[in-house]
Amino acid sequence: MTDVRSWIRVGIIAGFVTIFLALVGLIGRFVDLNLVGEQVTFARLVLIAAPLVAGYVVTRPRIQAGERRALAPRDAIVAGAVSGATAGFVFGIAVVAADAFGIDRIRSVFLNVSEPLIDFVTFGQPPVVGAVILTAVSAIAGGLAAGLRVTPIVARRPITTAVSTILVLGFLQRIIPIALDQLGLERDWLYSRSIGGLTWLGAIAVGAAAAGLSVLNARKGRELRARLFSAGEEKTGVAPAQLVLVLVLVAVLVAVPWVVGEVISQVLGTVLIYVLLGIGLNIVVGYAGLLDLGYVFFFAVGAYSTALLTGAALNTFTGSGPPAVSLDLNFYLAIPIVLLIAAGAGLLIGAPVLRLRGDYLALVTLGLGEMVTVLIRSPWLVPLVGGPNGMRGVSDAAIAGFGFRETQHFYYLALGFVLLAVFVSWRLSASRIGRAWTAMREDEQTAEAMGVNTTRFKLLAFAMGGAIGSLGGSMFAVQIGSLTPASFEVQVSILVLGLVILGGLGSLPGVVVGSLVLVGLPGLLREFEEYRGLAYGAALVAVMILRPQGLVPNVRRSRELQEEERAQDEWAQEKEVEVAAVEGMAT
Amino acid sequence: MRNPRWLAVAALLGALSLVAAACAEDEGGGGGGGGGGGVDCNTVEFGCVEVGPDDPINIGVAQVISGADATLGQDQVNGIELAVDHRDGAFDGTDGTVLDHAVELTVEDDGCSAEGGQAAATAFAADTSVVAVIGTSCSSGALGVADTILSDKGILLFSASNTNPALTAEGTHQPFYARTAHNDRIQGAIVAEFSLGKDVGAKTAATIADESPYTQGLVAAFEQNFEAGGGTLTGSEQVNSEDTDFKAPLRSLAEGNPDVLYFPIFVAACTLVIKQAAEIMPDATLIVSDGCLSSDTLKNAGADAKGVYGSSPDIAASANPFYLDELVPAYREAFNSAPLSVFHSHAYDAANILMDAIEAVAIENDDGSLSIPRQALRDEVFATKDYEGSTGTFTCTELGDCATDVTIGIFLAPGWPVEGGSPNAEAVYSDTKSLDDVL
Amino acid sequence: MGTSPAGVAGVQMRGFERLPWRRIILVVLGIAIVLVVGIGAWKTLALPAAEGGYSAAAWRDFVVEGVSQGGIFAMIALGYSLVYGILRMINFAHGEVFMAGAFGSYFFADAYAGSGFLNRSPVIALLIITGVAIAVSVGTAALLERLAYRPLRHAPRLVPLITAIGASLFLQNVFRGFFGPQPYGYPKPQLLTGGTTILSVPITRVQLLVIVVAVLSMVALQLFVARTTTGRSMRAVAQDSEIASLMGINVDRVIVITFVIGGILAGIAGVLFSLTFGQVQFTMGFRPGIAAFTAAVLGGIGSISGAALGGFLIGLLRAVGPPLILTGYGIPSVFSIRDAFVFLVLVLVLVFRPGGLLGSGEAEKV
Repeated sequence: MTDVRSWIRVGIIAGFVTIFLALVGLIGRFVDLNLVGEQVTFARLVLIAAPLVAGYVVTRPRIQAGERRALAPRDAIVAGAVSGATAGFVFGIAVVAADAFGIDRIRSVFLNVSEPLIDFVTFGQPPVVGAVILTAVSAIAGGLAAGLRVTPIVARRPITTAVSTILVLGFLQRIIPIALDQLGLERDWLYSRSIGGLTWLGAIAVGAAAAGLSVLNARKGRELRARLFSAGEEKTGVAPAQLVLVLVLVAVLVAVPWVVGEVISQVLGTVLIYVLLGIGLNIVVGYAGLLDLGYVFFFAVGAYSTALLTGAALNTFTGSGPPAVSLDLNFYLAIPIVLLIAAGAGLLIGAPVLRLRGDYLALVTLGLGEMVTVLIRSPWLVPLVGGPNGMRGVSDAAIAGFGFRETQHFYYLALGFVLLAVFVSWRLSASRIGRAWTAMREDEQTAEAMGVNTTRFKLLAFAMGGAIGSLGGSMFAVQIGSLTPASFEVQVSILVLGLVILGGLGSLPGVVVGSLVLVGLPGLLREFEEYRGLAYGAALVAVMILRPQGLVPNVRRSRELQEEERAQDEWAQEKEVEVAAVEGMAT
Repeated sequence: MRNPRWLAVAALLGALSLVAAACAEDEGGGGGGGGGGGVDCNTVEFGCVEVGPDDPINIGVAQVISGADATLGQDQVNGIELAVDHRDGAFDGTDGTVLDHAVELTVEDDGCSAEGGQAAATAFAADTSVVAVIGTSCSSGALGVADTILSDKGILLFSASNTNPALTAEGTHQPFYARTAHNDRIQGAIVAEFSLGKDVGAKTAATIADESPYTQGLVAAFEQNFEAGGGTLTGSEQVNSEDTDFKAPLRSLAEGNPDVLYFPIFVAACTLVIKQAAEIMPDATLIVSDGCLSSDTLKNAGADAKGVYGSSPDIAASANPFYLDELVPAYREAFNSAPLSVFHSHAYDAANILMDAIEAVAIENDDGSLSIPRQALRDEVFATKDYEGSTGTFTCTELGDCATDVTIGIFLAPGWPVEGGSPNAEAVYSDTKSLDDVL
Repeated sequence: MGTSPAGVAGVQMRGFERLPWRRIILVVLGIAIVLVVGIGAWKTLALPAAEGGYSAAAWRDFVVEGVSQGGIFAMIALGYSLVYGILRMINFAHGEVFMAGAFGSYFFADAYAGSGFLNRSPVIALLIITGVAIAVSVGTAALLERLAYRPLRHAPRLVPLITAIGASLFLQNVFRGFFGPQPYGYPKPQLLTGGTTILSVPITRVQLLVIVVAVLSMVALQLFVARTTTGRSMRAVAQDSEIASLMGINVDRVIVITFVIGGILAGIAGVLFSLTFGQVQFTMGFRPGIAAFTAAVLGGIGSISGAALGGFLIGLLRAVGPPLILTGYGIPSVFSIRDAFVFLVLVLVLVFRPGGLLGSGEAEKV
């Protein structure tokens, strides 16, 4: 029965996690964030999150003595309940202790511990009673999670799909109703105006629909897809279904701003800017394997070059004035110059770092990014870039009087450039240059020995990656029309790096996914603004430990990154097949 | 992808169709509805805001309500809420009405930054029910960002705490921007005057600025006026508000042996400069401005804060009895604390000026709905003359400065007008100037 | 294409690439640097006081401050260097380990200041405060190692680096979440106020304390690594961890000890830093972290003496470099760009000596 000990251990850790979540404020701040009806609030969700995970974790199948063993259903639920109970118990004790010690005294250190919080987690009861309730509730949560684990997959998949869909829709309560309004559809049955979140009716409907679709997909999905995508292939070389899909995708991309309204279009515009930055960094880090931690450098170069070349003015104490050096070109004439400047800057950066190995390279690029941040805000360069007051009046990239600064118009401008960048990047990766980069990335010494001039290709990576990144900066300048140094800090570099990695190093669709998750989501879910950094850091660590190849992996990179795991997985799968075969023979 | 060529064709088609879509879509500016009043909502520029018979009047509020600067924004939100409460004549917890319509506040967080200002402004620009916006909290959110976005849509942006001079300067002023907060040209000038005056009698001064427009505006105003008054500037340094180490810039400034060191920066950096200057320039007189006046500064700087002067609007001198006897007690009652900063009164006044203007220009239709023409609303606000607010009189200039006669007080620590201290803090020096008096 | 090496990669070597371009560029660059620095310094020193020149007293103050801050940087840099030597990874989150210690000690320091204990028995109070700082720093470092780094021991180099960046962000925000975004004033005992003069050089008591403690700590560390068994194990693992484990050394334990030592030094540095600047805030680890990391690389990462040298050098560069070299060129507010200045120096050093000042003259491959 040493198993029980491990259940308890997981439970204790989960308890501490809940304490941590409470101290950080994730429970207290969201007591009023209703997800479904008034009962399912985000705070309640956070409260039982750790026990849920604990219940799920303790019931994972283990590989013991060469066999894959899972727990029997009844044992699993017991395990989950025990684990959950322990978690609740630990947290409950903490609450009781806190109350005894004095909430106000704790509050002078941990700002988020307050009477309302304690009230909430004890369900309005005195602390000891509340602790008991907590233990019970957490036990149930753990048991439920464990139960989910042992549910046969036929039922499990629809359930998880339904629940996650409901939760996602609950979170997007500030966006989807607006979109429905724009489309002229009824929304009150789905989202309650007074509560904010989903109505119970809406939740059930959505959940049922999601579950139904999930079941359908499981049964018929594969067949349907196979039939659809191969139909007509022999005749025309491409399946009509695929073409239709692509056209639908294009139509959606085009129609989106008008459907979702201005606020979301603005977020999408920012997402597109970061996609541009991501594509550029993807070339440097993903294709060429050069760790660049100072990518804000190109962002700033692109933005400020665009400003200076299109006649922007400096903000001064008395109003505005011309920069020391500036031209007033048409935006589309300025863009090639901006690209050249950025490429040149990339070469300048690349040159001194050619001989440096990965970690030093990271530091130096970080330093260069910091340098640019410091310089654009320094008094020294005020005559050129306006210092802290910044610049205003960047061109709105107008074509024949049709300006692109309005949110929906800007979306199209950015989309155009993104498509261009995608195309360039894609062709690069498939070209000789791309192959040279791959060789360089996997083993530099061997590549040199094979005749690959790493110097030239490294420089090329910086130049091209930098040029595309500068496009992102250019778009940013057009979008806002004013530039202040506050927008060009190290956080940008880290964010772009994060989204490239999250999406998958070397993967273009990954950049889009990463950008949607790391830039789009926070832009839409603004009530979580304060927890952005926390979530972001945790996500980065989690991704690196659990799935370093990212969400949409580039096949080749994942092989590089996961040799050992893959080998283990293959071995485990073989074992599973064998065990199944044995079991099959037994019945 | 099976056949990339198809993708390219599809993309091209997509690109063409998007141009077509964009050209086809029309940005409807104004609403229809209501006749009478001499304003035709269908043809007038920027149109009208239509408020249905039972709908509330939607006033946007763009303030910083989270993070380190939250007290600045929250204080103003509180002031606006009090204004709505008092619409019915008393601070009784029941909101008043404007033309028999309730008033609803939509609050967006502007984050005291350019990006936050842009996000908030875009959200309001997209919401056709918003009549006007009271905000932003910090000049960085408005300068070239929120003021432009909202002016392009004809939405009035009325700030109670933006003080950067460029916002109302010729050439950069946006037509739909106005403010009840003072212009820092005045504050900088009065600080310079105080430094040169008999209390301090300084001949030389040095300044420290950070990377915010707020600070830059104040420092520039101070420097101009100090030199014009006969003083000599011995040096100026710029630092980063996130730095902790100011010893080297301070040591460098100490070389010039300034009589006065003026550093209108924010709390975190300000506290450190006070502490470090105590060691490095013990003989200089230290002066800060309202960005630093917080009880955190006094607490963290400890003994070193003694003797530091701080400039801030002198509420006590310009407050009328209504403010002292009714508004402040109502604030305490409603929000369980003393006012958090000096700007709540400006916000209170801005809200009232706005609501008065709505009452003046709104067209009341027969069915009980309202049509509020945007341009007329703006013009009405800009026509404000000799309006007696809670802590001053307002007359708006063509460039949007409504606080024309501004009283700035210089306070000596620990008697700063921080929360709990205001408005009981007494200025050791106080002067009233108008924009025409200063450079 | 044929199967010759050049053919496979599709790249040809051209004639002009055989010129010693690198040498030429390095020489020209070197001369340019010497000229720029020399002329700048000359012009600065020639400036009369009224036009922005500095007095001898000012230079003395700059140097002393530079050395003192350099001591703090050196202590933090050691943490980077030690971990790098053993794991070949940059612990980006080390700045947050430092911040954690400082923050943790703040609550005790504040309580002691409030009760007067800090001034009644300053030495004991400071020892306890430092102890708390060390405990929190070590705890943070150990957690980091166990949760974020150990699972990635054998991953390609990029992965732990990014994990470290994520961990750094996470830790910062944890402290922000717990304690709020505002700064807290750190008290100073009366014993440490005021200054004294050593060899006719004015120095404050805090600066003196910092320098003494930093030097002592580094000497202690050096002795520990050179003389004790654990120290020997650390060196062994740093050289070759596989062979070390074959020799019976518990590599996991050694790694944990390395993080612990780094944590101890960071904790002490945290207290020293707080006493020097008088404030703690959740962002306080980021800039010193980068400065210390720069110091470690500058000196030659992986070596204790390199980290020490780098630390003091960075401190001096930050304090003396901008005023000496940039003022002469009429650049306003030279301290506002001092971080840029330091990075420029770093880049230039790495151009000439890719392994750092005390590293081998060659860039290590792989």
